Amino acid sequence: MSNDEPKGPPRRDFLGIAVGGSAAVFAVAAAYPVARFIEPGTRPRPGPAVVGKLIEFPPGTVRSVMVDDRPALVVRAQDGSFRAFSAICTHLQCVVGYSPERNQIECPCHRGVYSMDGLNIGGPPPRPLEELQVTVNEGTIIVSAVG
Amino acid sequence: MNAEQPRKPGWLSDRLGWGGIAASLERHRAPRRGFVFYLGGITLFLLLLQVLSGVLLVLYYKPDAANAHASLERIVGEIPYGDLVRGVHAWSSEFFIAFLLAHLFTVVLRRSYRSPQELSWLSGLVALFIGVGLAFTGTILPWSQKAYAQARVGSEIAHNVPFLGNWLYRLLRGGTEVTSNTLSNAYGFHVAVLPATLTLIVGFHLFFLSRKPAAISEPADDDDDAEASKASSATEADTIPLYPDFLLRQAVVWVGVLVAVMTLAIFADRPLGAPADPRLSSTGAMPPWYFLPFHQIVRSSPRELLGIDGPKFIVGATCLLGLLVVVLPFLDRKGSKLVAWAGWLVLFVLILLATSALS
Repeated sequence: MSNDEPKGPPRRDFLGIAVGGSAAVFAVAAAYPVARFIEPGTRPRPGPAVVGKLIEFPPGTVRSVMVDDRPALVVRAQDGSFRAFSAICTHLQCVVGYSPERNQIECPCHRGVYSMDGLNIGGPPPRPLEELQVTVNEGTIIVSAVG
Repeated sequence: MNAEQPRKPGWLSDRLGWGGIAASLERHRAPRRGFVFYLGGITLFLLLLQVLSGVLLVLYYKPDAANAHASLERIVGEIPYGDLVRGVHAWSSEFFIAFLLAHLFTVVLRRSYRSPQELSWLSGLVALFIGVGLAFTGTILPWSQKAYAQARVGSEIAHNVPFLGNWLYRLLRGGTEVTSNTLSNAYGFHVAVLPATLTLIVGFHLFFLSRKPAAISEPADDDDDAEASKASSATEADTIPLYPDFLLRQAVVWVGVLVAVMTLAIFADRPLGAPADPRLSSTGAMPPWYFLPFHQIVRSSPRELLGIDGPKFIVGATCLLGLLVVVLPFLDRKGSKLVAWAGWLVLFVLILLATSALS
């Protein structure tokens, strides 16, 4: 007799779990495409980008330029050779700048210091600046990622 | 004779059913003394000020890198009362964070997070998290040199958050680099996503408080504490009705806060700074005051801690501490006085760090 009696609570529990579970599944199903939608895609490595004419870079010049949307420093040594570095500090990604007084590259945010070779020589930066490739093509300076 | 007749409800009161609402509010009691009980209300008022001034700013602000700074210069320089509206928005946001933090600290010091107020605590923490998000996205919008630097550093710090770091980093930047996309993303979050979520959370927060009539008075179940026995014997003389007494006093405090915000908005200069030029080094990247302690830790930490990258270690440890704060009501069920002392200690260390960051 007792087996035939409807058992309220377990049935209600089952319905509760079924409804709650379905809601959770729907929530996850809706959240996933939303999360994917707002997450932007990755971008390719920078460059190649034309940053100026050879005449604009006399020997001994350090100039801040943009390579795509990323800041970079182009250094022309006294012997006429070129080097370029990403101007993004390897500590917390502030934009670094050249200090003519101390002839070094400095990050003002957390007092990071780099040599003119891009090496981290003081403060919190954990790595050297990323080096970029410079090519001179018919008087035009082109900067791109190495490799 | 007429004075003895019951007052007829007004036209609007009648339609709103105000009598019922007022009777329900009168049943709730609030402490008679203590400024700490007004902090939550002040925070709510400052949120309202931000919404109102923010809605006005949206009418003229242009959320793209080429025009954002110029549009703000126009608001401040050309639009009638634009300087005032921007000042009210900016100062009320500073006060909002300050009162939100003060509210949080007093809840910790009074150990008011205890059962059954866990949900009020959790919703308050979510509100704080969203408030900081609103402040961060708000600092990006002027697209000044300082805003650009803060967008870079803020997103890179988020990059170090365990598990979610990469996703957060790209979300905050609108890509992998700080560009016009970063600005439009920050705008979308600042004017739509975060305010809508915050409104919902504040609604929950108030609802959870309203579920417990004595929510803002000392919990009475703390029998191992001398203060609690005093609180549990609190009589009606120590409390006042929420309506009209408490809300009237709260309104007077709001007027005071409004006067302070307006005074600062009118007389304290908040220069916009130079427009963002990504080629220039990040001068003036000093973060807002509430991030100064964190800034000081990041600035003076070694490159590696226990074999982990310095910033990664600091951000990871901060997240772990944040998690401890979230589960505080579940860890400290009885409301240990140690937590209140730890709260004072944390406050002292934060002030010390902020002071050294400024020197």
